[in-house]
Amino acid sequence: MSRVFIRSAGAIPVGEYWTKSIGDLMADAATIALDAAGPIKIDKIIVGNMMSGYANHQEHLGALLASSLGMRGIEAIKVEAACGSGGAAVHEGYISIKSGEYENVLVVGVEKMKDMDTPRTTKALAMAESADFTQAVGASFISLNALLMRLYMNTYNVEEELMDYFPVIAHRNAVTSPHAQFRRAITVEDVKKSQVIADPIRLLSSAPSSDGAAAVILSAKEGPVEILASEVATNELIIAQREDPLKFLATEVAFKRAMQKSGISASDIDFMELHDAFPVVAALALEAMGISKSGKAPQDAANGRFDLGSELPILTFGGLKARGHPVGATGVYQIYEAYLQLAEKAGQNQVKGAKVGITHNVGGVDTTSIIHVLRRVD
Amino acid sequence: MNLNVGIFGYGAYVPMYRIRTEEIGRVWHGGGAGPNRMKAVASLDEDILTMSYEAAVQALDMAGYPKIQAILVGSESSPYAVKPAGSILSDILGYNTILGVDLEFACKAGTEAIQLISGMVSAGTIDYGLAIGADTAQGRPADELEFTAGSGAGAVVLGRPNGKEIARIMNSVSYVTDTPDFWRRPGDKYPVHLGRFTGEPAYFAHITSSVKMLLSETGMKPSDFKYAIFHQPNPRFPVEVGRRLGFTDEQLRPGLLNDEIGNTYAANTLIALAKVLDIAETGDKIMLASFGSGAGSDAFVIEVNSRKDDDDSYVPLSERLKNYKVIDYATYARWRGKILK
Amino acid sequence: MISGLIPIAYWRNRKIYTRMIGSRCRDCGAEFFPPVRVCKKCGSRNIEEKEMPRTGALIAYTKLTEPAQEFKEYSPIYLGLIRLDNGVNVISMIADADEDSLRIGARVKATLRKWTEDGNGGLIYYGYKFKVIQ
Repeated sequence: MSRVFIRSAGAIPVGEYWTKSIGDLMADAATIALDAAGPIKIDKIIVGNMMSGYANHQEHLGALLASSLGMRGIEAIKVEAACGSGGAAVHEGYISIKSGEYENVLVVGVEKMKDMDTPRTTKALAMAESADFTQAVGASFISLNALLMRLYMNTYNVEEELMDYFPVIAHRNAVTSPHAQFRRAITVEDVKKSQVIADPIRLLSSAPSSDGAAAVILSAKEGPVEILASEVATNELIIAQREDPLKFLATEVAFKRAMQKSGISASDIDFMELHDAFPVVAALALEAMGISKSGKAPQDAANGRFDLGSELPILTFGGLKARGHPVGATGVYQIYEAYLQLAEKAGQNQVKGAKVGITHNVGGVDTTSIIHVLRRVD
Repeated sequence: MNLNVGIFGYGAYVPMYRIRTEEIGRVWHGGGAGPNRMKAVASLDEDILTMSYEAAVQALDMAGYPKIQAILVGSESSPYAVKPAGSILSDILGYNTILGVDLEFACKAGTEAIQLISGMVSAGTIDYGLAIGADTAQGRPADELEFTAGSGAGAVVLGRPNGKEIARIMNSVSYVTDTPDFWRRPGDKYPVHLGRFTGEPAYFAHITSSVKMLLSETGMKPSDFKYAIFHQPNPRFPVEVGRRLGFTDEQLRPGLLNDEIGNTYAANTLIALAKVLDIAETGDKIMLASFGSGAGSDAFVIEVNSRKDDDDSYVPLSERLKNYKVIDYATYARWRGKILK
Repeated sequence: MISGLIPIAYWRNRKIYTRMIGSRCRDCGAEFFPPVRVCKKCGSRNIEEKEMPRTGALIAYTKLTEPAQEFKEYSPIYLGLIRLDNGVNVISMIADADEDSLRIGARVKATLRKWTEDGNGGLIYYGYKFKVIQ
């Protein structure tokens, strides 16, 4: 079995691309990574994406990217796991290299959401949930998270404001994040004053919709960053059918496995790119990983425990909230950001002496959870 | 017609929303109000099927869920021109070996359903049937009927009398003519009516005829009855026709509902019947006459057999009607599809 | 025209939507909604249909002002996470929602309402919604 390294990584800034198609976006990101890799023969292309069919009327993204890059004959597929599509694509790239069958794999995450209006975007995101029993009853993705947030607040006696520190951390870090969609700081008051989308989730506590693409080239040949573990776990699709809706089982299982496989422990982690779609998701994920005690993650965030210069920085380039969330691409953006940290290319957002990082990418409401453990190669 | 059909269960559903007629007057007439204070308005997510379901479940529950072999839904506001609410309701209630279909005869479609189901029960072709009248009546904006056009549903479970029935329909008369008082062409959103012509030649003539014929056939007189229920297009007409026929205010008052819920069209007399059956005692006789534009009237002699089983969870209609929420014209227009999109 | 639910998919599931038909494991007695193929408690495939109770309690609720495409004309949508009297949880729209009476622990009862329709000419979708019982 091979070890898995990151040879190069690249990304386009997250934002709104009126003049670029989904094909353009992924080719642009792929080209950045390819150019940074130097001469290289790519054996396989994996595209991570959630909603190209509904949003862009375009499936078959693997073949599309291969054609676009002029790589006739190459193996190419698309991988989908809702908002975890990017992480799932990286995972498939990881096991491709690990198996020894492939030398270099190009993994691209892409999403183009901005051709859709809000109701259609809401519909597209809701497709992560049961069509027959969740979408059919009018529940949107945000509304499910809102129900979870209310349950969380009521169970642990946590005020809404306390949970808003997660978006505050995200935005603070995004100010100096070159590829972030929103590069301005916000306060807890700003979040509280913003429009309610699904009570108690507000505009400024909700990850945005975005266009974006990020690419990494995984290689069996040694590079500056190594992926030590790549674990995927799932939870019951319909959250009403979970024994405890507040238990992020998929994250808990994936994280445990990743710690075991990589041989590192929680105290070794120097930073974490967390899936902060909503404050309650960030909180429950940290609690599922054992990093915060049950009901205590928001307080930890408020206490500065997760700030950039502190004990466990999270969302170092803005996370989903401020770097942006082009859903199928996010998981690859996270790997790109971890790569920047570990290769010491993070500029003003550098976590000093970062040796080990975690990425946490989720599809649905902890329905698929994907954990990567990465380390700096000295 | 001699009937001898038992009412084993009854149900009435009135949506919890009301609009005051003075609000309608404010928007369209610069003030004033209708002859009624308020009318019931179905919510955005309600229609005659959902309301029929509610009324039907009440009636079936009261009757002990007998095997129903026919469901007839009388309405002039079916959400489909083709696809009967009766078939959808049958499927929902779990009956597939059944006659499930709709009827239309303006405001008398509900009592028509009773006539037809009674016929099937009397003939022995079915053991039990469910007769429903339901409407989300369409009131033309700025028209006087907008004050009263309301929403509601009433249901009765009918079967052969076996001593356990709540009431028995003893006799009935159906009287029908061709009278152009009120009609609606397919594709049109609102009916057309001829104003004052809907009074004497239509409402009064038909109810007077059917009731007089029924009294003559049965040899009964108004004083034989404890209660009298007449179709209520507004608060005044049922009282006026009742007095003309020789009924007293005491007999009429318990069934009057138009002032608070408006005219629920095909559900009208069925909902009034539910209200009266909630308080009627063994041996009480009820005269009930509906009126449907076009026009016709169904009249019934109903005798109360026994009170329904005392059930703590049953809330009488008059209690349920106390719980309502008033809405404004904008909300009403949105919910009832009166805004051009 | 708003295209929303798929008519044939609705027809396929209509008993679940209008009568809350779920599942019961014949081996361990656990109940589920919506129906399952495999018992989530004991793993058995010995599953039978079971109608769910129509009453329960609200354990979470929200008011959604940005629903998906096919519910756009029904906004705002009130949703609840309800624990039915048999312990099974269900996510459902709340009918006749009154913001003052929406609270955790409120008793709720199932009724039948319109979920949405495919515009003026399309199919009408009916299904369960829960009302807060005073």
